[in-house]
Amino acid sequence: MTNGEDIDLIAAEYVLGTLPAGERAAVTLRAYSEPRLAEAIEAWGRRLGPLVEAIPPREAPATVWPEIKARIDALEEVLLTPKQLTAQIVGIKRRLGRWRAAAVTATALAASLLLFVGYREIVHPPERTLVAVLQKDAQSPAFLVSVDLDRRLLTIRAVAAEPQRGKSYELWLVNDELKTPRSLGIVGDKPFTVVGPQLAGYSPKVIEDATLAVSLEPEGGSPTGQPTGPVLFAGKLLQATK
Amino acid sequence: MTKPPAADLSDLLARVAARDREAFTAVYKATSAKLWGIVVRILPRRAMAEDVLQDVYVRIWERAATFDPAKASPITWMATIARNRAIDEVRRRTPVSIEDAPEALEVAEEGLSPADRAEVSQDLRRLQECLQGLDPERREIVLLAYYNGLSRDELAKRFAHPVATIKTWLHRSLAQLRKCLGS
Repeated sequence: MTNGEDIDLIAAEYVLGTLPAGERAAVTLRAYSEPRLAEAIEAWGRRLGPLVEAIPPREAPATVWPEIKARIDALEEVLLTPKQLTAQIVGIKRRLGRWRAAAVTATALAASLLLFVGYREIVHPPERTLVAVLQKDAQSPAFLVSVDLDRRLLTIRAVAAEPQRGKSYELWLVNDELKTPRSLGIVGDKPFTVVGPQLAGYSPKVIEDATLAVSLEPEGGSPTGQPTGPVLFAGKLLQATK
Repeated sequence: MTKPPAADLSDLLARVAARDREAFTAVYKATSAKLWGIVVRILPRRAMAEDVLQDVYVRIWERAATFDPAKASPITWMATIARNRAIDEVRRRTPVSIEDAPEALEVAEEGLSPADRAEVSQDLRRLQECLQGLDPERREIVLLAYYNGLSRDELAKRFAHPVATIKTWLHRSLAQLRKCLGS
């Protein structure tokens, strides 16, 4: 996907909406980790955006609003508030002391979260550990991931991802080398999910450079083998150890 | 619909980011007709469109904190969420019959009718001028894609050209628009 592609035309067709489903899903995921692509998409959004002005408003069906309210009620019940999350992280940090804080290259928030996800492995920190915070924005981490590269073991912990009725969260490995996103399975139905065999087929290099993304799929996972639902959370894997 | 001033909507979104339900209700009242207009154009099947509109407002609720008034107007930001969600949905479905797609050009020209002209933003006027520079068929292809979410395959059928031709035309049209818009 990297060879000779025109990022700007991809972004243009993404915004116009004409990319086929698979390419569209891949672009959505890539934009999380490729600032140039994300900027090109924003620029095209600004160029074509004025067209929506010409769309006449139409009264939305009355049934929609009560459904939205109900979904937001459900969301608010399960989501940790930033305050609660911070309190949890501070507690864990205190217990862990200064463990590896210096080695972590991520942002301060990510760094504290790394400790959070890393504590299971604290007794024998593996040689090569990658970590990622999957989030929809800087304030809202939803999943914490750690990858033991040598054992090809991925641990994912749901922090603030709301379980959704009749839907499943599916984890994807995204790397230009792979052309299309690869499923790593369903996650988030329990606090910890350990992903083993699905990672075995990928080289450390591919895993190291990958972005992880979580999409919302029909219960049981994507019927097509490609993300079909919205990508809710994504993050890049980072080195946690030197 | 009376248009809510952008500043008010920005303030409301800031309150939504702080989980203010009253502000969220106000945002819905002020914008749902516009977003519904966007979504049903792309998803003519009503049940599907209703589900998508729900998703759109749940996302607005979740992401209000990421709205940046310096980057986009509130309605542009919300319209982008609505269009993206609707396009995601339509792209992964097998196409609805082509007759479901209304004429996009009518919509596009509406914004240019003399009565509306004062209301039309400078950005839209400029974009329309650039669109006028495209060959009429190619302009219609761009507008049908944007307004109605038609895929390359659907456009190929509708205009009786190979998909590869449609793709090339789209690329050329978009490149021409970019040049005309001067950025």
